[in-house]
Amino acid sequence: MKTRILYVEDDERIRSSVKLALEDEGWEVAEAETGEDAIASFRQGPSDVVLIDIMLPGIDGFEVCRSIRRDSDVPIIMVTARADTHDVVAGLEAGADDYMTKPLQPKELSARIRALMRRARPSQPGNPTLRFGDLEIIPQEGVVKRGGIQLHLTKTEFKLLVELADNPGKVFSREDLLEKVWGQDEFGDGRLVDVHVRRLRTKVEADPANPRHVLTVRGLGYRLQA
Amino acid sequence: MNAPMSSAAIRDGHETNVMRRRSPTGLRGRITLAVMASTLLISVIMALVTLTVGRKTLLDSREASLIRQATSNAATFGGSLKSSPSGTETSDQPNETSGGQAAVIQSILDSLPVSGWASAIIPPTSSTGTAGQTGGAGQTTATTDLTTVSINPKYGTDILPKDLVSDVVENRQNRVMRFSAKGEPLIAAGIAVPDSKASYFQIVSLTDIDDALSKMRTGFFLMTVLATVLAAGLGYWSSGYSLRPLRRISDAAKEVAIGQMDTRINFADYANDAELAPLVTNFNDMLSALQDRIDRDARFASDVSHELRSPLTTLNASVEVLQNAKDALPERSQTALELLSSDMRRFTQLVEDLLEISRFDAGAVRLDLDTVALVPTLEKVVKVASSRAIPVIAEPEVTDLVISCDKRRLVRVVTNFIDNAAKYADGATSITVGVGAEPDPETGAVGTIEIGVEDEGPGVPPEQRGKIFDRFNRGDQGGSRGIDMGVGLGLALAAEHARLQGGNVWVEDRHDGGHGSRFVLELPAIEAMEPEELEALSATPGLDMTQITGQVPVVRQAESPGGQR
Repeated sequence: MKTRILYVEDDERIRSSVKLALEDEGWEVAEAETGEDAIASFRQGPSDVVLIDIMLPGIDGFEVCRSIRRDSDVPIIMVTARADTHDVVAGLEAGADDYMTKPLQPKELSARIRALMRRARPSQPGNPTLRFGDLEIIPQEGVVKRGGIQLHLTKTEFKLLVELADNPGKVFSREDLLEKVWGQDEFGDGRLVDVHVRRLRTKVEADPANPRHVLTVRGLGYRLQA
Repeated sequence: MNAPMSSAAIRDGHETNVMRRRSPTGLRGRITLAVMASTLLISVIMALVTLTVGRKTLLDSREASLIRQATSNAATFGGSLKSSPSGTETSDQPNETSGGQAAVIQSILDSLPVSGWASAIIPPTSSTGTAGQTGGAGQTTATTDLTTVSINPKYGTDILPKDLVSDVVENRQNRVMRFSAKGEPLIAAGIAVPDSKASYFQIVSLTDIDDALSKMRTGFFLMTVLATVLAAGLGYWSSGYSLRPLRRISDAAKEVAIGQMDTRINFADYANDAELAPLVTNFNDMLSALQDRIDRDARFASDVSHELRSPLTTLNASVEVLQNAKDALPERSQTALELLSSDMRRFTQLVEDLLEISRFDAGAVRLDLDTVALVPTLEKVVKVASSRAIPVIAEPEVTDLVISCDKRRLVRVVTNFIDNAAKYADGATSITVGVGAEPDPETGAVGTIEIGVEDEGPGVPPEQRGKIFDRFNRGDQGGSRGIDMGVGLGLALAAEHARLQGGNVWVEDRHDGGHGSRFVLELPAIEAMEPEELEALSATPGLDMTQITGQVPVVRQAESPGGQR
C-alpha cells in the first residue's frame, strides 16, 4: 500500500504542484486547504505523514500540529517561511518531527519523509528488551515503559531513544543524532535534536528538569544512562 | 596582517582613521586655553589696578599725614622759637652766637613729635651774619647768612630738592614734594613758619610703602600664576563636563555606525538645556528617520523575496514534475526545460540570498553559536560542497581546535568560497587553516583563525579586491555571464556572515607565490562554550559577537595586496 501524505496548504497552486511532484516520488497525497479540513480529514482516514504549512487561514499550522499530535504519533513536517525565526522551534515544540523552508524542493522533501518513515532498527536482535533503571525499551515492538507503564512516544522520539540506547553511555553529538534519526547531513539544524531531547525528557524522565537518563554532556552532545 | 578586504571595510577603516586624526588642541583644549588666558588677563588687570590704586592711596595718606604733622610742628616750632630766651628773631641780644642759636633750635626740633626727620632754616637775625658752626647732635650749617639745623644730618636740608627749598625759604610757600635721594624714596614737606622768617622741613621715607607694594606685587604675581593654573584645571574639568553630551552623541553615532540603529540619546537628560535639547532632539529624529528608511528598504527587500517564495515553490515543484517526465518530451522542449531548470536553481538561490541579506539589513539576524571542531567541519564542507577532493591543510596548533561559532554561517562562507573558486577559477586547490592574529592580553582582544580557500585561477586584480565583496559585483569575470554563473550576492553575504561573528573576509595573493587567489575567512578564536551557555547566548535578542568577545568587531584597513607575511 502506498504511503499516504496529508498535505495542508492554503495556496492552491503550490498545493497542486507539490502534490504532482510528490506523487512522482511515489507518495499518495491527500490535500487539505485549511487547518479545520486537515484535522477532519486526518480523523476520517489517518495518514502516514502530515505536511503542514504554518501560515494558514483560520487555525494555524501550530494548532493543527498540536491537535493531530494529541491523538497520533504520526510523523509531522512543518513548512515554514523562514528557518531563523522562532517558528521552527515553536513548530517543533508543537509536536512536529522536522521542518522545511519554502521554496520546497520536492526531492529533498521526499528524502526527509523517507527518513521519518524509517523504523527504528534494533542493532541487537538477540536482546529484545533494553533496560535502563526504571526504563524498559522494546525496539521490536516500538514500546517504552517506565516503571512498567507504557509511554506514548512519537516515532521520532522513539528512534532517538533507541539510538541513544543502542550504545548506552556513549556520547552522541547533535550531528550524529541528526544523521541517524533524521537522515540529515552534518549541517542540519541542531535545534531538531535539542527540542526532541527536551520532549523526550518530559516523557521518559520522572523529573524532566533533573534528567537521570537522557543526559547532556557539556560541549559534546547527549548520552543515555541507566 | 594587512590584507585587502571589502570596500565597505575600507570605508569603515577610513572613518576610523579620520576619527583618530585629532588636532592636538581639541575643543576641550581650546576651551581650557581660553579659560586660562582670560583668567590670566583678568588677574593681571586686577593686580595692576589694585597695585596702582593701593600705591596712590598709601602715598596720598602718607602725604596728608606728613602735611598735617609738618604744619602743626611748624606752628609749634614757630611758637617755641619766639618764646625761647635766645629767640632768634625777637632776641635782641647781639652776643648770642649762631652756635648757641643752633643749639636752641636743635633742642626745639628734638622736642617736636616728628615722624621722619625735621630740619629748619632760619635767616640771620639783625645784621649779624656768621658762618655756620657745627655743634651738638645736630649740624648747624650757616650758608652765607642762613642757619640750617637738622635733627639727622643724613636727612638734612641738603638732600632736599632746590625747588622745594627756594619755594619755602624765599617765596614763603608751603610745599610737598616726592623725591629720592641716594636711592631712597622720600617725601618732604616744607612749611614757611608763620609769623617768622624761619622755614620748617620734615622728610619722611617712603621705603616702607615701596616695600609693601613690592610684597604686594610678588603676592599678586603668585596669585595670578595660581589662578591661571586653577583656571586651567577648572577649564579642563568643566569643559570635559560640558562636552560630555558631545561625547555621548559621538558614542551614539559610533554605535549607529556599527549597526545599532536603535541607539538613542535620552532626551530627559538634556531636556532642561536650551542649547543641547534641540541638538538631542534633532539627533534622535535623524536616527529615527534613518532607521525608518533603512527598515523600509530592508522590509521591502524582505517582503519581495518573501513573496517570491510561494511562486518559487510552485515553479520548483512544477519543473521537477517536468524533469521527471523529461524523456517523454521532444528534444527542443528538453533543452528548454534544462534552461528553465538551471535558471530556476539560480533564481531560487538569488531569492535565498536576497532574503538572507535583507535580514542583515533589517538587523534581524542572530547568531546561533555551536561548538565546532574546525578541521573536521571543514572536511565535511568540502565533501558536501565540492565534487572533487580538496585537501584541508591545518597548522599544527589548530588541528584539534574546537571553537564557538555559528556553524551554519561558517559553512555558508566556506561553501561560497569553494563555489566561487569552482565558477571562476576552475575549482579550489586547497583549504588552509591557520592562526591569524595572536590574542592580545592587554587589550583583551581574542586571537583569530584564518581559513583560506586557494585556487589556481586567474586571480583577482588588486583594484577589484575590495569591490568583489560588494553586492552584485562579480569582478571583471562577472561582466560576461557565462554558463551557470552565480549571482553577485554570495561574497557580500560571506562578508556579512563573517562580520556578524566578529570576523572578516578578504581576498589576497596566494602565500606560496603561485598564481591564483586566496579567499580568507578570519574568525575570532573563541573557546568552545558549554551548550547551556551557547543556548542562553543564542537566545539573546540582537546578539552579536561584542557580547561574547567583549569587543567591537575589528575591521582592519586594507593595505598592499597580498598581506605582509
